[in-house]
Amino acid sequence: MDFLALDILSLHQALLDGKINPIELIKLSIEKAKKDQNNAFEYICEKEALAAAANLDPNKKHNLLWGIPYVLKDNFSTKDIPTTASSNILKGYVPIYSSEVYLRLSEQGAILIGKATLDELAMGGTGMTGHKGFTFNPWDPTHKRMIGGSSCGSAAVVAAGIVPFSIGSDTGDSVRKPASFAALVGMKPTWGRISRFGLFPFAPSLDHVACFTRNVTDSAVVLEALAGRDEKDSSSATAPLEKYSEAIKPDLKGKKFAVIKEINNSISNPYIHAVFDATVKALQERGAIIEYVSMDMKLCKAIYPTYIVISCCEATSNNANLDGIKFGPRFDGKDYEEVMTKARTEGFCEMIKRRFVIGSYALFKDNQAEIFLRAQKVRRLIVDATNKILEKCDAILLPASPTTAPLFNGGNSDKLSNEYLISDNHLAIGNFAGLPSIVLPLGFENGLPFGINVTGKKFAEAEVFSLAKGIEDITKLKDLVAKEDK
Amino acid sequence: MNFEAVIGLEIHVEMNTKSKMFSTAPIRYGALPNSLTVPLDFAFPGTMPVVNKQAVINAIRICNALHMTIDRELWFDRKNYFYSDLPKGYQITQQQRPIGSNGYLEIETSLGKKKISIERLHLEEDTCKQLHSWDCTLLDYNRAGIPLVEIVSRPDLRSGQEARQYAEKIRSIVSFLDVSNGKMEEGSLRCDVNISLRPIGSEKYGTKVEIKNLNSFANIEKAVDYEIKRQEMILISGDSVIQETRRFDEGIKQTVLMRLKTDAVDYKYFTEPNITPIRLSEEFIKDAIETSPELAEVKLARYKDLGLSDYDSQILISNKNTCAYFDKAIKSGPNAKLLANWIIVDVQAVLNKEMIEIDDFKVSPEHLGKLVLMIEKEQVSNKQGREIFQKLLEKDEDPEVIKKALGVDLINDNNMIAEAVKHVIDENPQAVVDYHNGKDRAVGFLVGQVMKKTAGKANPAIVSKLVIEELKRR
Amino acid sequence: MKKVDIPLLKKVANNLMFDMKDSEYNTLLEEFDVILCQMELISEIPGVDDVEPMTFPFDVTTDFLREDIPTTPLAQEEALKNAGEVVDGQIRLPKVVG
Repeated sequence: MDFLALDILSLHQALLDGKINPIELIKLSIEKAKKDQNNAFEYICEKEALAAAANLDPNKKHNLLWGIPYVLKDNFSTKDIPTTASSNILKGYVPIYSSEVYLRLSEQGAILIGKATLDELAMGGTGMTGHKGFTFNPWDPTHKRMIGGSSCGSAAVVAAGIVPFSIGSDTGDSVRKPASFAALVGMKPTWGRISRFGLFPFAPSLDHVACFTRNVTDSAVVLEALAGRDEKDSSSATAPLEKYSEAIKPDLKGKKFAVIKEINNSISNPYIHAVFDATVKALQERGAIIEYVSMDMKLCKAIYPTYIVISCCEATSNNANLDGIKFGPRFDGKDYEEVMTKARTEGFCEMIKRRFVIGSYALFKDNQAEIFLRAQKVRRLIVDATNKILEKCDAILLPASPTTAPLFNGGNSDKLSNEYLISDNHLAIGNFAGLPSIVLPLGFENGLPFGINVTGKKFAEAEVFSLAKGIEDITKLKDLVAKEDK
Repeated sequence: MNFEAVIGLEIHVEMNTKSKMFSTAPIRYGALPNSLTVPLDFAFPGTMPVVNKQAVINAIRICNALHMTIDRELWFDRKNYFYSDLPKGYQITQQQRPIGSNGYLEIETSLGKKKISIERLHLEEDTCKQLHSWDCTLLDYNRAGIPLVEIVSRPDLRSGQEARQYAEKIRSIVSFLDVSNGKMEEGSLRCDVNISLRPIGSEKYGTKVEIKNLNSFANIEKAVDYEIKRQEMILISGDSVIQETRRFDEGIKQTVLMRLKTDAVDYKYFTEPNITPIRLSEEFIKDAIETSPELAEVKLARYKDLGLSDYDSQILISNKNTCAYFDKAIKSGPNAKLLANWIIVDVQAVLNKEMIEIDDFKVSPEHLGKLVLMIEKEQVSNKQGREIFQKLLEKDEDPEVIKKALGVDLINDNNMIAEAVKHVIDENPQAVVDYHNGKDRAVGFLVGQVMKKTAGKANPAIVSKLVIEELKRR
Repeated sequence: MKKVDIPLLKKVANNLMFDMKDSEYNTLLEEFDVILCQMELISEIPGVDDVEPMTFPFDVTTDFLREDIPTTPLAQEEALKNAGEVVDGQIRLPKVVG
């Protein structure tokens, strides 16, 4: 029995039934982690994980995540465990405090077996910019294809069957896009639903803690373990909680989905369209109502620039604390400016620096009105338009990505074409509006997966899980582990 | 050509809250460096700011004292720049929506009361402390994140004296509100001056010079006065004032160039996305104001009602702790004037001798108040009262207990005293003769003898009265 | 807005306390062209300047304020253990002037 390929509830039952004990399970997971071929790990916490497994509180074993191995994206602070955000500027940094996510999971008995690679500082979508190099997609053993990003490592470890769930962060699509490329469920709840305390910030007004699992119910289990107010994060929500895993009602009768035409039509892959349309039909056969609605094309095209401007502006400020003085590699200099400049020049990759320059430029007094503030205004227009659509339906339904996992050497698509601007970035709407948004497997093209995206009203996670489960019951694509190359 | 000085003050006040503005680290002075911090103070990645309620309450109270409009929502901004003492690479402050705006305070000038407009008051956080030695700078993060209010006046001040008075008034306010001890020497009140000159009658502003690092209220006045003269000389000679930052050199009593003002720094202000806007309800604001400690003016009015002279009142309110002592002591019931006198004269004498502040004065206000009441009710004489006071200085306990222990009691019984008076006068016939010959000091002599006979316990006022009466009869 | 050219970009980068390779400035210049173009398109969206800029995804106004209760501070050693240069319990920098 491949315990690591089980879904969470089954694995939980196996632990309760004594079919395997936590230490054995963790050992299995760590062994598999050490054999990882996809460059998914920054750090494998062998010592810590085995100690945690040995010290589990038996009174807590009815917690669904008790004894379950998992991985955290390496931009979550973990006390005494190195955390680098896949950036050289944090080489050797060992936090002295832990993120709320890590604290809550530990409290429930989940066992951290490793920290996963990411695009440096979570600012990227390819899995190519982390300081250890590319992270690969387990669905392509030839290592020619990306798994996307920025939560590349977190996606790879679940897709490869090393752990049943992992935690990432989603600022523009950083969990949901990789989920689409890796046959995973990627779930981003409402803004503030999960505490961001201890998550290295990329763009706080867009950042969300999010998770990878291999089926919809598992993601509800994980959300349940993490959701809820944390007073250490002022922005964390006080909205009432639900037992999400028990609130899933997959009956689609009477459920209304809205498909945004402009976004749907911006995807040019005919196979993805065909499968999406077939799924829509199947939904209708089960009593769901699908309506094709419109969003102003100008707003759709504005999604990408709005995202880039707002995220770069917030990011350039958030990362001003990285100067090699309080932590991180320290350089010599004749004055503090030189000390800082050397650390930041050496420590950041070029793409990050370019993004910081863009953000900084947009924040200058003379430029703010035309760049930063205007992007924030467009955000409002996009959010208003989205919420208007959601007034008349239960969720927005769209293909998650315009293609399957792209090649690393895919060549630059025209950055002003509809395809790039809209189809590749529409998931950011879920970040602008802070709405709960899930991606789950839709189909395969040439052995490579692609996903479907459901986005619901704020704090309506239970509804989103229910609708996603309904779709999962149709596609029957769940619990998929990429085969190892042998 | 006659010039007028156009002066504005930017004052930063460090608050004496128990924890920091955005972090929960404790605040104490004189602790080991970097021993009063939490992760947020070092800007470790992933740490987040959470707004301190008491700091907000303090700010509301100061806004109220300065007659400012209070914003009903609290929004914060980031002020982005790099410096050695700034851990996050930005300071969290309030640029767009300061908690207070459009207020004023009044100072007393030779021409009467003058209103100084105050443009804004906002909350922000302090930076690290830097210790500069000969070859390096050492950083202590204990101070990083301590709550500050910044108060910016309009350029309504016109002289060094006005500037000093304005700053002292701010100090009095924050001191009486229990927000800060406002000590410039300790850095809990920092004052930057912006000063320019212009021909009298002109509406245009001249070139501004900034004066920083002032360390006393007296130096504010001296620095401004010197700077006015300096700029005057420049303008009279036909030159232009250069925009620069200066400091005041106490030794030579002159302002000295620190650095030239370069292009204004662009701080790239934008709304702090980690702090969601906070609603300040009418109730919250009202409560903060109603539970506010009393301001000096309010105390003055109250002391006037109690019958204290202007002079005594002013002395009391010159020190917040003295008023606090007085306010506690008066609860024991004594006459306000008597009590004020005891505090201003007798207590102060002890404080001066021992070189301590009233905060460290051993005698509790309740006990002092009780003692003064005892004297007032003539349960003991003044002299006896002072005896008890000396004992209180040794051990602070209920003056009743001391009175019993010393066996001091004031005899007010007229009959008893009359007896003693008769005896004494019988024993001293010469004094009677002296009295009738116009020698008034005979009275004092006889009073003294009666006091001796009654072991000092007779009420001297009554003794005096009865001696004179008896002498008249003889 | 000033014209975006490499000297300006160098200034912005230095203001952020880092340097970049020359080739990167060229890449960056191209990226700027794209973004500024896209922002042009955005400025033409009808009604864009009639709305307020949006910082938060939805109305997140709260009443919450933290009680002024201090927590146990970090031990000095713990607080400084990630710092590269420590002297006498303080972080050391080259002498700061001005």
